[in-house]
Amino acid sequence: MAATKLRNVRSRLRRRLVRWSAFAAAVALGWPGSSEGPPECAAVVLPALSPFVALGSALSTRSVGILALLALPLFLLAWSMRCGFCRFACPVGLLQDTLTSLRSVRRRHWIGAPAIGPCLLIATATGAVLGHPLFLWLDPLALFAAWLNAWRTPIAWIAVAGGLGLPALLIVELFWPGLWCARICPLGAGQRMLWQGHRLVVRLIRGRTHYAGPETSCGADSSGTVLLARRSRRHFLAAGAGVVGAAVCRGAYGPSTPLRPPGAASEEQFGGLCVRCGNCARVCPSRIIHPDVAGRWSAWMAPRLDFTHDYCREDCHRCNAVCPSGAIARLSLAEKSRRVIGLARLDPDTCLMALGRECNACVRVCPYKAIAVDNTLDPFSPRPRVDLDRCNGCGACESVCPTRPERAMRVRPVDRETGDQAETQGAFFGAFWFEG
Amino acid sequence: MKATLTRRHLLKLLTAAGLGAPFATRVVADEADASIQSAPSPENIVVPVSPRDRYPAVLSRGRVIQPGRPLAVMHETDVLVVGGGPAGFAAAVAAARAGSKTALIERYGYLGGLWTGGLVLLVYPTHATEKGVRTKVVRGVGDELLERIARYPDAATNHAAGKPDPTTDPEITKLVMDQMVREADVTMIFHCWVADVVMDGDAVRGVVIESKAGRQAILAKVVVDASGDGDVFAAGGAEHEQRLHAVGLVHRLGNADRADLDALRAAGFKNLGEIEPQPSVRWINLRGPSTDGLDIAELSRLEIEHRRSIWQRMERIRQSSGGDKVFLLQTAPQIGVRITRLLAATRQLTEAEARSGVRPADTIAVGGTYGPGADNPGFAIPYGALVPKKLDNLIAAGRCIGVDTPMVEDMRLIATCLLTGHAAGVAAALAVQEGCRPRDVDILRLRQILLHQGAFLG
Repeated sequence: MAATKLRNVRSRLRRRLVRWSAFAAAVALGWPGSSEGPPECAAVVLPALSPFVALGSALSTRSVGILALLALPLFLLAWSMRCGFCRFACPVGLLQDTLTSLRSVRRRHWIGAPAIGPCLLIATATGAVLGHPLFLWLDPLALFAAWLNAWRTPIAWIAVAGGLGLPALLIVELFWPGLWCARICPLGAGQRMLWQGHRLVVRLIRGRTHYAGPETSCGADSSGTVLLARRSRRHFLAAGAGVVGAAVCRGAYGPSTPLRPPGAASEEQFGGLCVRCGNCARVCPSRIIHPDVAGRWSAWMAPRLDFTHDYCREDCHRCNAVCPSGAIARLSLAEKSRRVIGLARLDPDTCLMALGRECNACVRVCPYKAIAVDNTLDPFSPRPRVDLDRCNGCGACESVCPTRPERAMRVRPVDRETGDQAETQGAFFGAFWFEG
Repeated sequence: MKATLTRRHLLKLLTAAGLGAPFATRVVADEADASIQSAPSPENIVVPVSPRDRYPAVLSRGRVIQPGRPLAVMHETDVLVVGGGPAGFAAAVAAARAGSKTALIERYGYLGGLWTGGLVLLVYPTHATEKGVRTKVVRGVGDELLERIARYPDAATNHAAGKPDPTTDPEITKLVMDQMVREADVTMIFHCWVADVVMDGDAVRGVVIESKAGRQAILAKVVVDASGDGDVFAAGGAEHEQRLHAVGLVHRLGNADRADLDALRAAGFKNLGEIEPQPSVRWINLRGPSTDGLDIAELSRLEIEHRRSIWQRMERIRQSSGGDKVFLLQTAPQIGVRITRLLAATRQLTEAEARSGVRPADTIAVGGTYGPGADNPGFAIPYGALVPKKLDNLIAAGRCIGVDTPMVEDMRLIATCLLTGHAAGVAAALAVQEGCRPRDVDILRLRQILLHQGAFLG
């Protein structure tokens, strides 16, 4: 008896050691602060470890990249060990458990609540087949990475806002201890489904055809055929909801789409594919990537570009290397500089050069020599003319344009549906674009 | 001409000695003017033709050959400043005040260059704006000039303590420049072009000028090239490069206060120019196409083309509602060449260095913040940017100094030209006094004199 107790204590100690080590490793991988730490591209690892992210990404983009390999260890862990990830590796779970252990009351009011984690997972998967994984952003590793990335220096409120997912989970934990892990977390649900699959395979191999439901797992689960049938119906409905949700989200973007980082997936996919981990914003040296706090609901908090103070540097493609879900494509520098973020367009009514002033700020700053002065329309109102074949929407011109409050030269998103900016603009005096 | 200058100088000295220090400058100028104009001047009388050596070019086997010939030395001086624009003006006044015998030559009949003759009336940028705090960078000679212009009625807008970038009246600007040059005892020679340089090995010993009086030489110990186009250093064989930039023509709108500008803007005339001190006048910038500002065929074509398009637009404005009272007051006497030659200097100023905000030890001027709404501490101009790589006894000033492409836009502005001119003038005087080459001037001493003359060095 004493020996068993000792063994239990030992195993608990060992488990605690493993969990805190994993937590420390996750923080070390994702922490944005120090320059001596791991290189910036290591930021991709933490969210990319999640098989949930890998699944959503692969189904949406219909491709499996080298990053999918990163999800393999956790996949195998979940396959071979019951709740192996939750019990030993998850940093969010550790924070939740630690928070709960500090409290004296540990009542579980929610015990009768249905497990919506599997539904979230299934809806995400079916949505992903349609190109819009609905709940990929609920991945705990992505939430954790976003929280770490919020502490990039200099600290800005908009960056911190992007990392508020984890504190929100902790607040949920305060009021309903254990609810997130056992009922909501889609990664945990996927893990349990994997374990069930594992059991099923084992039973099939052993020749047992009667399946009596899973054994107890880390989230308090019950068994029984009735329950299984009820759950199947629920899962079926979730799958349908995923399809409908994806279709709605894909359609729910208007003509004024925000500017996304270079190589971003199409706008109807982007809001779903992006896990909001904040990696792209963290590594951007120009600090032009911000979570879109005022964005439309289906792409809320997804990164958008703001050229008010700086522009997308011609010598940088760091954001292309750190996206774990493929929302931003992995592009080489040459590929990135050819990728069109948007197109610079001039408002000749406010342009200082068109008013006869000696301003040529946009002409002199353009890294791609895409802006020239056009005297032909009216020699008294010469205008910077954008060569659409050279412009990739880097925003250098917008960042230096001196007119206020609106910049006369602004990068506008290309209509992604037609994908052909030249055609829409061709109607207006060649390369010119007139407002109103 | 020589006789007139001598008489004028003598008179001025006598008058200055007779009067006390207060009000001296204004009174001296007025007295001198009155004396010249009241001297009896018989008109239309016959004088002997001056014996002038004739060495015409000859056509020999289809080629035009200029025979070798001796040139009369018209004038000898310590510091010769070529070009009477903002940079040349500041250089001449500064060199003379630093104690050197100084002469200033100018191709037209007035000072100010493109400021007055080109009607680019906005003096910009006079301040550096960093984090919203303005620091005046145009101090010393340039600031004194602006102060004295502003003392005249309706001579400058936006000129008050802490206010940046005044617009000045071109005629009063010319007038005050004349006064300051004369008070500084600079020998002023208008109406002559630099045709060539007088060389002695790698050193410039003077320039050859061309005028109605024929070809003559002016000898000098140091030449300041403030020609804007680098005419002197190019003739002297200094390494340089050439740029194309927009070449335009400014014109002025009369009766602007009797026009309905908003109605005209609504009718499509977006560019109705900038205000002037006189409320009835506006100056309008015509940017023009990018071309070679040294090509006289091109400049001739553009003069005609620009004047034609200005007149056509003026007619359309007069036919529009709200524009029937306005008239074309003037097209600028000088075509607006923005940049042509750029010196390859011993220390080329790059944009990266300029924007770093660093003030190196060889800073001889601090340029203001360029661009509306821009916020930066301005930029330091190192002495080496004025000095040619090999050519000696020459200092460049104004827009043609050694900078990279983006910095051209800062360097060619009036305020910055006043600054580089000031520094070049003091450096030239110092080189003369120390008997050294301009490249060997003691920069500490140069900065001391500049500070003493009121310049801002950061």
